[in-house]
Formats: sequence, structure tokens, C-alpha cells
Amino acid sequence: MTLSPKLRERLTIFFMLLPTFAILVGFYLYPTLYNLELSFTDITLLKLKRGGDFIGLANYWEFLTSDSFFAIAVNTVLWLTGISVVCRLLLGLGFAMLLNSQFLKNIRMTTLARLMLLVPWATPPVVAVIAWRWLFDPTHGPINSWLLATGLIDDPVAFTANLATVWPAIITIIVWNTTPLIGVSLLAALQTIPEELNEAAAIDGANRWQQFRYITLPYLMPTISVLGLMSVIWTFNNFVYVWLTTGAGPGTFTNVLATEVYLKAFVDLRIGYSAAIGVTMAVVMAAFGALYFRFFGLNEMQEKVG
Amino acid sequence: MRVEKNNPIANAIENGGMLLAFILFGVFLLAPAFYVFKGSFENLSVSLVATDSGWTLRNYISIFENGYFVYVINSLVVCITATILACTIALFAAYGLSRFRFRGRSLVFGSIMGGQFFPWIILVNPIFIVFARSGMVNSQVALILCYTAFITPFTIYLLIGYLTTIPKSLDEAAIVDGASRFTVVTQIILPIIWPGMVAAATFGFLQSWSEYLLVLALITDDSLKTIPLGLYQYFGDVQVDWGAVMAGSVVATLPTLLLFLPLQRKLVSGLTQGATK
Repeated sequence: MTLSPKLRERLTIFFMLLPTFAILVGFYLYPTLYNLELSFTDITLLKLKRGGDFIGLANYWEFLTSDSFFAIAVNTVLWLTGISVVCRLLLGLGFAMLLNSQFLKNIRMTTLARLMLLVPWATPPVVAVIAWRWLFDPTHGPINSWLLATGLIDDPVAFTANLATVWPAIITIIVWNTTPLIGVSLLAALQTIPEELNEAAAIDGANRWQQFRYITLPYLMPTISVLGLMSVIWTFNNFVYVWLTTGAGPGTFTNVLATEVYLKAFVDLRIGYSAAIGVTMAVVMAAFGALYFRFFGLNEMQEKVG
Repeated sequence: MRVEKNNPIANAIENGGMLLAFILFGVFLLAPAFYVFKGSFENLSVSLVATDSGWTLRNYISIFENGYFVYVINSLVVCITATILACTIALFAAYGLSRFRFRGRSLVFGSIMGGQFFPWIILVNPIFIVFARSGMVNSQVALILCYTAFITPFTIYLLIGYLTTIPKSLDEAAIVDGASRFTVVTQIILPIIWPGMVAAATFGFLQSWSEYLLVLALITDDSLKTIPLGLYQYFGDVQVDWGAVMAGSVVATLPTLLLFLPLQRKLVSGLTQGATK
């Protein structure tokens, strides 16, 4: 059997990409569409075999008008995503500036500091949550024994069960686990800034703040916006930190969209309703991504895709 | 070099501030890991109060006596298989995408970029239903397939970065000499991008090693659980077996720390390539 070179090449491309197609269609496209279909039905885990009946937008309506919707939306957007991403970017910038500073070079600590960043970064999220739950533990935890010993508190605080401290506690865990990536990425960007720029600015009389504001920050902006977008998407959809720290509790105090999807599907067994929440999340993220690209105009990223 | 005013007091204050920042930075980063490591060697009996101090291997012995090694083996089997599958699939896909121009190429490329950010929390319901209907709940095959699908997009993305640095003339010369594309990929390209494959494999392994949501949905049989799920067995409704939890955590983290050391620089350049160049 002889094939023309052109056909042969086409077949080669086809077979090389076939498994990838299968994955993209089987594990991404089909489940997404199937999820959309499920969200219009009243299917539950109990009548899985039979399937559900079509109920239109009832699931969406029920979710968007439910009593818990507002709290879940605020928890997800403000606490889980907004505050934690801002904290991570600021702290990551701080780490990067510190690692890039002349001071650390003078005391020969740059390599050690980089290695220290690796520890939280390499820690799997499940373990990160365990580590902090141990630190926060009211009976054995080091933070409580330290606070008690210094007399700052009189009784142990259950950080992950107390309404005033539970969100800061969750955010601390997320920040600890995910800031190193941001810090190291910003460090890489910082190191591309030509030294002459700062020197010239200093000769022209610019102070440190002005150098930071008009040289460093503009240089870092593309990296910051990419990292910001990635962090927002990862965190908005993140399930493990909240689930493993508090199980959406105390009560449903720290319930977020991702934990609500899981609770509705695997605890209440209402797959259809849960699917509608998932679709809502996807729509919000798609809208956010589109707006983000519009405002930040990430040409480099688009070039890579194109 | 900054041009600085030589004011010794201001310098001292600044250096003091930097030192303090550095110490706080170190404490924040290391304290959680340190306390878990320390705790894993302590005698933390559940009934508490002053137990005999001093370090002990009791926690490690007890978790392995109680079947923790089953979780370790499950994790290794699932993650290694998925990583090998994903790397093989990604090698050919990355080669095809970087060497050929064809209709729909940018769509495939876009889907791969999008796949990296795809929220699995949304896919978990449909995937669970599909596997439940085909009787594949509590199946390692289902988990391996999911993890392969989960890590393939980023693997392809990383490998394309490596492949674009290899000149096309290299494989064209081999084609002229009569080699097939398959031979080109396995005999010529693979040895050159081997460092990239190692980085991609490490990353894929780490990703699947710490995955929690899919295994939570798909596996309920204790003998099939992976480490992340196994670790949370020790969290009882009322009490937590902290000694076991911490020994288990150390076991779960050691391989990731060891794999991470050589990988981290590559990862950063892979992740923010577009922005930093």
C-alpha cells in the first residue's frame, strides 16, 4: 500500500493528536456539555439509572433566589478569592523584593531564602491544611500555647471554629501554600529589569519610592496581571482549602461555591441542582476572563495561543 | 548598585528592618513544616496531658502497621501510571502541534491552554455519573484516566516550549534519510528534550500526588484510597489522631520536596513564559 506524501502526513498528524483529542473531548468537552444538560433536570444520585426530568431553569432560579446564595457569593468572591489573591500578590511582591535585595546578597542569604520558599510550595495542599490545623489547634497547637504563655489571651482560641478568625485562618493557609510560586515568578521578572534604569533614575534624583513606582512596577505589571488571573481562576474554583479546613463550617459559615457544588451533589444527592451551581461558576469565570483580557490586553498570552 | 546617602543611622535602621523582615519571612514559611515534622516524632497520646517527652518513632510504626503503606502504594501506582500515559500522549501531541500547521490547530492549542485552568469541581458530577453508570466507581482505572486527562494539558504546554527550541531542519534531515515521523520523535526528539520530559513528568506526578477532589468522589473502598484521602481518615468526628496525621503528612511530603528541588526553576519559566519574555 502506498500513500501520497500529503495524505501520509495528514494521517501522521491525526494519529499523533488522536489521544489528545480523545482526552479533550472525553474529559473536558463532553462532561461540560453533559453538566449543562444535567443542570436543566431534577436528577438525583438515587435515580441515577433512570435519569431526571427536564425542569428548565428551575435549578438556577432556586439557587439564585435561595437564602444561602448571598452568603455563598460573598464568601467566594470577597474572602476566598478577593482578599486572598490580593494578600498573595502583595506578599509575593514583598518576598520577591526581599530576595532581590542587596541586603540579602550582602549577608549571603539569597540561596537559603530561595530554598525556604520551596518548603510551602512543595507541600501538597492536603498537608498544608493539616500543618496549619495543627498550629491553630486549641488544645495542642503551638500558636495557642504561645499566645497563652505570653498572656495575650486567657483562654485557647479555636481559630478554625471561631466566626471572627475562621476566614483569616483559611486565607493564611492559602497564602502560605501558594505565595511562593508568585514570589519566585515575580523575582524572575525583577531580575530582568536593567540595573542602569535605576541608576540613571537615582542620578536624576528619583527616590526609592519613585524608582519603585515608575520603573519596577511597570516592568512587573505583565507578570502581575498573568499571576493575578491565574490565581483568581484557581482560587475561585478551589475546593480543598475550605473543605479540609472547616468542611464549609462552622455550620455553613464558610460555604463557598465549590463546596456547595460538592455538598449538593454528594451529601444532598441533588446532582442536577449541583450542576446548575457549577454552570453558574463557569459562566462567572468566563465573564471574568473576558473582562480581564479586555482591560489588561495580555497580548503576549494571546500571541502564544494564536 | 544604588546611589545612597552615607547616613550610618539610617543605614542601621534599614538593615535592621530588612533583617527583621527576613526573619519573619523565614518563620512564616518554615514554622508549619517544622512543627509537623517535630510533632510526627512526639508522643501525642489522644488522652493527652503530660506524656513522657522525648522523641519516638511510634507514630510512624503505628501508621504503617495500620495500613498506611496501602495508601502509599495506591498513590504510587495511580500517579506513576497516569504520569507515564500523560507524558507519552503529550510528547506526540506537542510534536504534532509544534511541527505542523493545519486547520483547527489554534482551536486545539486554545483548548490545551484552557484545559490547564479548567475547574474540575464542575466536571466532577458528570464524570462521577459516567463512571457510576459504567460500574467504574472504586476503580483505579477510572482514577488513572482522570489523572491522565487532568495533567496532560500542562504537560503538552511545557513540552511545546521545549520543542520550539529544536530546529525543524533536524527532523527534516532524518525524514529525507527515510526515517518515519515516529522514529524521529522517539529516536531524535526524545533524547534532546529529555530534560523537558523529566520536568513535565515530575510536575504531572506532583499534581496527581496531591489531588483530592476526584479521589474523594470516585473512591470509597479503603483498600483503593490514595494518600490525600487516607490522611483524612485520622480526623475522627470528635478527636484527631494527631501523631498519625503528622507522621502520614511527613511521608506524603518527602517525595514532593525531593522532586521539587531540581524542578522549581523550570516551572517558573514554564508558567510565566509569555509575560516575562
